[in-house]
Amino acid sequence: MKYAIAGANFFMTFATKSVIPTSNSTKVNAPRGPVTFMITLKDINKTYPGAVPLHVLKGINLHVDKGELVSIMGASGSGKSTLLNILGILDNYDSGEYRLDGKLIRNLSENDAAQYRNRMIGFVFQSFNLISYKNAVENVALPLFYQGVSRRKRNVLAMEQLDKMGLADRAHHLPGELSGGQKQRVAIARAMITNPAIILADEPTGALDSSTSRDVMALFKQLNREEGKTIVIVTHDPGVGEQCNRIIRISDGLIVPDNSPLAAAGADNRICRADV
Amino acid sequence: MKIPFFDIDNWKEIGATLARNKTRTFLTAFGIFWGVFMLACLMGGARGAEDLLRRNFAGFATNSAILFPGKTTIPYQGHAKGRRWSLDMTDLERLQVLLPQLKTVTPQSSSSNISFRNGRYTYSGQIWGVRAGFTDVMTPAIESGRFINDADERFMRKVAVVGKKVANELFPGVTDPVGREILVNGVAYRIVGIAYQNNEIQMGDRIDNVVIMPLKTFQNAFNKGDLIDGIMMVGYDTADFTALEPKIRRILYSRHKVAPDDTSAMWYMNISEEFAKVDALFMGVSFLALFIGLSTLIAGIIGIGNIMWVIVKERTQEIGIRRAIGARPSDIIVQILSEGVTLTAIAGMAGISLACVVLGVTAAMTANEISTPRFQMNLGHAVTIMVTFVVLGTLAGLIPAIKAMKIKPIEALNDK
Repeated sequence: MKYAIAGANFFMTFATKSVIPTSNSTKVNAPRGPVTFMITLKDINKTYPGAVPLHVLKGINLHVDKGELVSIMGASGSGKSTLLNILGILDNYDSGEYRLDGKLIRNLSENDAAQYRNRMIGFVFQSFNLISYKNAVENVALPLFYQGVSRRKRNVLAMEQLDKMGLADRAHHLPGELSGGQKQRVAIARAMITNPAIILADEPTGALDSSTSRDVMALFKQLNREEGKTIVIVTHDPGVGEQCNRIIRISDGLIVPDNSPLAAAGADNRICRADV
Repeated sequence: MKIPFFDIDNWKEIGATLARNKTRTFLTAFGIFWGVFMLACLMGGARGAEDLLRRNFAGFATNSAILFPGKTTIPYQGHAKGRRWSLDMTDLERLQVLLPQLKTVTPQSSSSNISFRNGRYTYSGQIWGVRAGFTDVMTPAIESGRFINDADERFMRKVAVVGKKVANELFPGVTDPVGREILVNGVAYRIVGIAYQNNEIQMGDRIDNVVIMPLKTFQNAFNKGDLIDGIMMVGYDTADFTALEPKIRRILYSRHKVAPDDTSAMWYMNISEEFAKVDALFMGVSFLALFIGLSTLIAGIIGIGNIMWVIVKERTQEIGIRRAIGARPSDIIVQILSEGVTLTAIAGMAGISLACVVLGVTAAMTANEISTPRFQMNLGHAVTIMVTFVVLGTLAGLIPAIKAMKIKPIEALNDK
């Protein structure tokens, strides 16, 4: 039930916002209610236990607005994957507070975590992570299977998503019969099918060539622009980062100030806020 | 949440997974198939084999004994050892009177290489002289007519019951020779019955090959006087032929001056002991079948558990993907278990089916005109085997399934 209400909120927000979900100074200065941010991280700490405990996240503070397209960049070992896992409710954090669309995400049971992932988060992975023996439409429909949606209905919805991705003619192909770009678009369709609050993409272009990467990024931008989807992309690629509204740089477990064009052009407030 | 059993997609899911790795699925299924097949064959076969062996004794009184005199081995009362001695009708009567536990005491005499003739057809075989009480010891199968009765004996009738094979040889083309005459050593006897033997007990020869006549008629025709070859006894339920043996020996030995401790002077066969041996044998066979069956079962179950373990290992990443996009731990456990149960159920049913075919063929091949051994499995056994396999298969799949359930999405996704 909770998720349904969250989803309804989410929809209404977009209905009123319609065209301008992207960064805008007026929006930044506008008064906020408690549920204005899509993602709120307050002083998130994460340590991996071991012979030498590894303190990976050392107090991350971060806000992502609804309808933002942000990238998280950082060197390997900087903690960005851990951050993404926490954002995706794939991993727990030790201290701090993570709110996703107003919901406090902390110490969830496996079942609750699965439900949140299923309903609120769409994942896109570097290696696509499609199920090899299921065709495109079955892969896309799979999240709905775990919601108990009927087979007929979820196949219709999956076909709609594939059609949006321009892959209607590939619906019955197995992943092995698709190109990298097509696979990634199938994966994006799968991420979108539950109409999640956020899309989390982990190096979505990492396994693609440059022209396919551009197509995939164009797709993300389109989803962000036309459907107002909040998208967080973890990437190495500065080219990818530049196409986002905002770049969040992470280094050694902390968010660092950024001097990207967007940051310079009036998003300072947010960067400062995001800063430790 | 929907019940997984009724969701066609679950079944498609299971089918797709099992079809994905055909070799592995086949090998696992074959292991279960073979286990169930063996178990079903053993359970059905044990009973069939028992029937088959019991058929050897069909119609034979279980609580009975047979005795024949032989040569003495101990000198006694002035007689040297090595003396042959014979029974006579008095012995028969004494046993009857002195041992009330005996329901029937009946004589048997025989003579070999007797020529039987009907016109130009001849046959050579044994002739038996018996009383009506013979049928208490062993029920011969009567094809037509009747067996020797008391009146035949009392009036020393010249009648004969002819073995089926003898009748076929002497009366080719005659559908029922009852009422016709047969020449035994040139003397005519009226045929009153055609008999055959429906078990495998050897008493000189099979009834099929012999001619049977009343004892008195036989003694008269072959100049036997009062002598008889052997005595057959059937006891009431309380009679114990093991306990009776010394008494019987004493009764017979004292009259014929045989040393009381000369056990070799008389051949005494306790049929009830033989039956007890067979019973013990079948007890052993049943235990063996059960043991082998259970071992097969355990081996099969371990096989399922093993293969499910491998399946889970191989599918770590896939399970991670499913968990990441919202599968709950219970969804995963249901999926893994369903696969194990499906495989077990299908392979198990195939095994039972093949076992039924094999048992059916065996039954058909061992069937004769008398009986069909029950090389078959009753539904209860089949259902028990299936349920046991499915339940234990589920339990065996449970450990890997729990392992699968505990897979954390991140670990699985990193495991590339």
